[in-house]
Order: sequence, then structure tokens, then C-alpha cells
Amino acid sequence: MRIYALLILPLPLLIVVGYLLPTLGVLGWSLSLPKVGLQNYATILDSAAIQTVIWRTLRICLLTTVISVAIAYLIAFRWRFASARGRLLIELFVLLPFWLSMLIRAFAWLVLLRNDGLVNQSLMGLGLVDEPLALVRNELGALIGMVHFMVPYAVLPLLSSMRQVDDSLLRASSSLGAGRWQTLREVFLPLTLPGVAAASATVFVFSLGCFVTPALLGGGKAAMLAESIYIQMFQLSNWGLGAALSIVLMAMVAVCAVVFGKLVGFGRFTGRQA
Amino acid sequence: MKDKQRFIDDAVEIAQQRVEAGTLSRRSFNQLLMVMAAAAGMGPLRHAFADSASVVVANWGGDAVPAFEKSFAGFNAASGLKLLIDGSGPTEGAVKTQVNSGAVRWDVCDGEMYSSYRLGKEGVLTPIDYSVVDKSLIGYGDIHDFGLANYTYSYVIGFDAKKFGKNPPKSWADFWDVKKYPGKRTLYKWMSANLECALLADGVPADQLYPLDVDRALRKIEELMPHVVTHWSTGAESQQLLRDGEVSMGQMWHTRAELVKQDTGGAIDWTFDNAIVAPSVWFVPKNNPAGAANAMKFIAYALRPEVQAKLMEVYNMGPVDSKANSLLSPELQRINPTSPENLGKQVSMNNLWYADHYSETLDRYLALIGG
Repeated sequence: MRIYALLILPLPLLIVVGYLLPTLGVLGWSLSLPKVGLQNYATILDSAAIQTVIWRTLRICLLTTVISVAIAYLIAFRWRFASARGRLLIELFVLLPFWLSMLIRAFAWLVLLRNDGLVNQSLMGLGLVDEPLALVRNELGALIGMVHFMVPYAVLPLLSSMRQVDDSLLRASSSLGAGRWQTLREVFLPLTLPGVAAASATVFVFSLGCFVTPALLGGGKAAMLAESIYIQMFQLSNWGLGAALSIVLMAMVAVCAVVFGKLVGFGRFTGRQA
Repeated sequence: MKDKQRFIDDAVEIAQQRVEAGTLSRRSFNQLLMVMAAAAGMGPLRHAFADSASVVVANWGGDAVPAFEKSFAGFNAASGLKLLIDGSGPTEGAVKTQVNSGAVRWDVCDGEMYSSYRLGKEGVLTPIDYSVVDKSLIGYGDIHDFGLANYTYSYVIGFDAKKFGKNPPKSWADFWDVKKYPGKRTLYKWMSANLECALLADGVPADQLYPLDVDRALRKIEELMPHVVTHWSTGAESQQLLRDGEVSMGQMWHTRAELVKQDTGGAIDWTFDNAIVAPSVWFVPKNNPAGAANAMKFIAYALRPEVQAKLMEVYNMGPVDSKANSLLSPELQRINPTSPENLGKQVSMNNLWYADHYSETLDRYLALIGG
């Protein structure tokens, strides 16, 4: 049996070589470039510009999480009570976006939402607005693109969580006199809350690192942390500060993971009951 | 994200624009791969890419790769060296990574002029050997220890000729005047030339621009912000914004302005009046794989007037010497940034100023347009 344990060795090895060592290297840069010390972290604390970006990142990610998980909950709910055929259809539409490049999706939104795009032309044609709404090339545009990107990631943990809800519990609830709304609120919802937490954590963590979508749909007006790191590293060759920002981003992800772990347990990520 | 795309990367057709925007992320991806390879000390990689019988020239990808291949096709016959173009983008960060890790992949880089000053100071470049490179062939643009002008381009005003054809904008003051010239605007994302345009619009005389008054320039840019739809980061985007009528006026590269003029049959027009003209630069990373001598050979070749003219013919990149202008057709002379007539209408960008102030100013500028 012991020999089989060796078979999982590539995974920890990959993690050490591919993640741990480079991460330590980045940490080293943040503390040693251009000179040894904490000055890069002091810059982050001092710079109003950087803090604006950090707060904007948190704000956009939080909004993305709330909206994506709400939409995903509705989709997953519909799936839970659909026929086999209906389930297949929903699964197909949830998975379909995974096959499209992030870049193509961002450009599609740009075409739809820009001033003379389909959405604005329809609204103006119907006489609902007089001049085009600013739907893209701002924070709203970034938000729309990110929500669209994240919904499938939120649906998957919710599906697994809703599948585990035993039908007999719902029947028991109604046989005890609860209406549909009460059953939903007092039985179904609490049972699926761990799924909501898993979906939220997944979406929030993924959103933190978003680069392409906010860069394209934000029109330079919604720069997030990932773009700032790119600018420091490649535009300004300011590796120390870029590395320090990366560490801050990583710390934010770690905090989310720990909070999530405390709340519902890490087992949720792997689909096991915690 | 751009990323960053520079002047040189022009597409000819509308259809190419989307593909081209794709090069942005591919480029960033390449840079990441390269940093990772360099960090891991994978020096031998470069030998797979370039041996001593070839010269690798780095530029910004997209159509600039075939443009260089076509324009410098005669280099092999002239030197016996094979020319390879690598479009992954010689940003300062990338050059520094390669040199510091000892995994240098590029022999000659087509970069930003201010980068050549900065990298030269940091000691990661090889000095230009002016006994091989004939600096008298440069009539316009910087010549310094670690770099020299290789071609020129202009930040011009492109405008909707259907709206403003009778009384076209002639200055940055007109560009800022949204009452006289109604409609939205777009400007380049990466700051270059924006500060100059803002100060000119604010009434600073062209000969007193430098040192740039950053506070005043940023205030002037802030004033225009409500009318700026977006700051474009790829040349294709600047074309699209004007062609689709999303903006009535845009600050853009002269190559793109000419393309969109041709695309729209003149519905979009542009002018060299008050434009900001700037040189790009050749520089050579320290310990380049083909050796300093071969890099100098390439630079000397690329400076020949007939090669300069070829670069203008192929992709409208302006020669660095007005003598090359006479080798051009009248039609190309009209759109050449360094023809004597056009040069007289424009304001020159001072890259020495950028060399000293780029980082801290870019931070403030991006915070302003990102807010």
C-alpha cells in the first residue's frame, strides 16, 4: 500500500516547485527591491492612488459576488426542480461560456453596450432614453462583464449543494403545514447556505485576480489590483512595489479562504460535507 | 490589458482589429513566460531561439513583425546574418529581467526613447558604437550613449470631417473646446504626449513646454475627463472609436489616422497641425546573444536612407532624416512626420524629461484617468 502513496507525490512536488518557491521569490522581491526594507509596503499604505485601486477592487469584487451568486442561486434552484431534460439544458447553458475565450466575451459586451451598440440603440429606438447610457468603459461595464464571467463558477457549487437536499425533508415540511414560501425560507434555504458560502468564496477569490475583463470593459476607468501589478512590473519596471502589491492581493485571498474555512469548512470546496 | 500597444502596431483591416487586440494578452502572456523562464535561470532557451549567425530584433508584435521583416529583408544579403523579429514587446521590465538573469534573448530592441535613457543609466545596455553607426544619418531624434532614433511617429488630431470639415480643428485648444467642437474625445492611455497636449491647450507656448508643469497638465486633463469616452490602449481601438462615431475627435497616431481616413473615404480626417512628434529608439541589451558587433551592424543597416524610406513605404513609420524624404512619393511625403513641411507644424516630444519623471508622473496620471 505504501508504494501507492508515492503516486500522489507529483502533486505536492508541483505545488512546491510551481507555487511555493516562486511565491517566496516574489515575497523576497517585495522586501529587497530596490533596497532591503519595508519601503514598498510603506508606499502602499501612503499612496492614495494605490488605496483607491485596492478599495475599488474590493468594491467591484463584492458587488460581483453578490450579483453573481444571486443569479446563480435562481439558475440552480430552477435546475433542482427541473425535469431530466430541463436539467441537461440548464447544464449545457451554464457550461457553454467556458468554451468561449474571456477576450471574445469581453469584446461581445463592448459591441453590445457601447454608445451605438445594440442595447443603447434599442433603448433610444423605443424612446426610453434620449441619449446613450454609459453602460461600458466604466465600473458598470467592468461589473457586467465580470458577473457574466463568474455566474457559471457560482452555479456549480450551488448545484452540488442543492442536489444534497433531501426531497423527503421538503415533503415533511409541507405535510406539517408549511406553505411553499415557508418551506423555501426555513428548510431549503438554510440547507443550501453552505453552497452559497462556497459559491461566494469561489467568485470573490476569482474576481480579485481579474485582469482582462476589467481592463477592456472598464475603459481604463476601473483599474483593479491585477492591472496595477502589471503596470508596476512591466510599464515602470518597479518590481519591488509590484511584488508587494502581489503579496497584498495574495493576503486578501488567504484571508477569504481562512474566513470561509472557519465558517463552513474546507470540505465544501471538494464537495464533501463538512 | 493591455497592455500596452505602441504606435508601431498597425492593422490594415477592420477584421484584424479583434485578432490584434488578442495580441495584447498574448504579449503579456509571453512576457510572463519569459520572466518565469528567466527566473528559473533557463539560459539555454535563448540558444534554441537565436544562434550567433542571426540577429534577433524585438518589437511590439502584431503587424509590426511583418513590417520589419519586409523593410529589413535586405539585411541578410548585406551582412550574412539572419534576421529574426520577436514581437513580444521590449518593455523596461522585460529587458531588465533578461539582462539581470543572464538569459538575454534580444540583440536589438525597438523601444521607448525614455526607456533607453533609463535602462542605460541602470547599466543594462551596451553603448552604441558610433564608429560603426553613422550618427550623421540622423536628422531628427535623440542620439545618446545607449540609444538612437530609429523612426518617428506623431500624435495627431483625428476628427469627424462631416461635422467639422468646414472649420477643422487646428490645435489642442480646439481639441479641448467642446463648445465649438461638440462630441466625445479619446486619448492615448499611456500618458505619452497627453501632458504636452494639455499644456498646449492651456496656452503654454510650444518652446516653453519643458520641464512639463505636471500639476497644470493634470488639471487640464481633469477638465476634459467628462468628455473622454475612454483612453485607448491599442491603435485599432482609436480607429474604431472614430469610425463608429463614438468620438468626434481623437488624439491618435498618424498611421492610424491615415488608415481610418482611407477606410471611411475621408469622412474622418486628420492634421499634422499642432501634433506631437516623437522618435522611437534602437537599443542593445548587455550581453546580447549575437554579440555587440552584430547588433551594431544591424543598426547601421537600418539607418541607411533607402531602408528608412522602405519602412515609410511599408508601414508609414517616418524616417529619422529629412534626406530620406526625397526618396518618397509625393503621397507619402504628405503623411511623413519628418518631411520638412510637416515637421514645421509640429511640436517635438522631449524624452529626456520622460526619462527622469516617467514613473512618478504615470502613477498620478493613471490615478486621475482611473478615478
